[in-house]
Amino acid sequence: MTAADPGPLIRLFGLTGGRARPVGETFDLVAIVTTVSTYVQPVEHLPEHLTVLSLCRSPTPVADVAAHLRLPLNITRVILGDLRREGLVTIDRPRPAAQTIDERIYREVLHGLRSL
Amino acid sequence: MGYAASEQATAGAVSALAIKILVAGGFGVGKTTMVGTISEIRPLHTEELLSERGVGVDDVSGVESKITTTVALDFGRITIREGLWLYLFGTPGQDRFWFMWDELSVGALGAVVLADTRRLQECFPAVDYFEQRGIPFVVAVNCFDGARRHEPDKVRRALGLGGATPIVLCDVRERESVKDVLTTLVTYAVKGVPTE
Repeated sequence: MTAADPGPLIRLFGLTGGRARPVGETFDLVAIVTTVSTYVQPVEHLPEHLTVLSLCRSPTPVADVAAHLRLPLNITRVILGDLRREGLVTIDRPRPAAQTIDERIYREVLHGLRSL
Repeated sequence: MGYAASEQATAGAVSALAIKILVAGGFGVGKTTMVGTISEIRPLHTEELLSERGVGVDDVSGVESKITTTVALDFGRITIREGLWLYLFGTPGQDRFWFMWDELSVGALGAVVLADTRRLQECFPAVDYFEQRGIPFVVAVNCFDGARRHEPDKVRRALGLGGATPIVLCDVRERESVKDVLTTLVTYAVKGVPTE
């Protein structure tokens, strides 16, 4: 019952079917995950899947999802890749920061930092 | 296949954006303290499982033997507004985790290289790394109480930095000081990028 040595590994194995990498296009640590459908049969999904779907109703970066699930990043990624394949979440494509930060966002960030 | 994304993007809603900033530097220089000082949440913790072999993704046999260690990854968050966040990632200190840096640095806005003047050489690898990849960085010299204050110019010479790289003296325990470092970085990173 207590976590004997192989316990955590077996649990992680169960979550991912032993896979180390997510299906489909790779995604960044801070890629934004957004739930697009919560129309799932709970019995067909692991609790972790349902947690993600609930959490990502507000768009949430991958790293936050991992911290929330208390799971390693690559395990979290496998889970997210599966949910994406099922069409339940979207994961935005990582873009270089230089292309995403325009003058307006830059000013917002500076203002936000200064008023902390 | 790309059905939902384009519709959402044109729906008029401002899409969510998380901006990555890395905090690098030698072991024990104050990276985690810096993240904790400015983060609105207690630094979150996650781990990356490391595989000894990067092959055999679908090979379910021998999984246990492939997973050899974990790297802790601590990060903090600053919410600028709903849907716009800054994430600060402390980079793993040990050299054997360089590959993690590659992952962390993709798309990063920039980096803070934390320096301790008593052990300046420990931030050489970070300086080299960001220079080689063209990632904007500032050097923040952590001035602990009683530690000798160094002239930024001396630090610049010791690290062989060009004139443009900002050097900031800071105290990672002080919120105002960390804010100062981050605003310097953001300004440098954005203004250093040619605008179109």
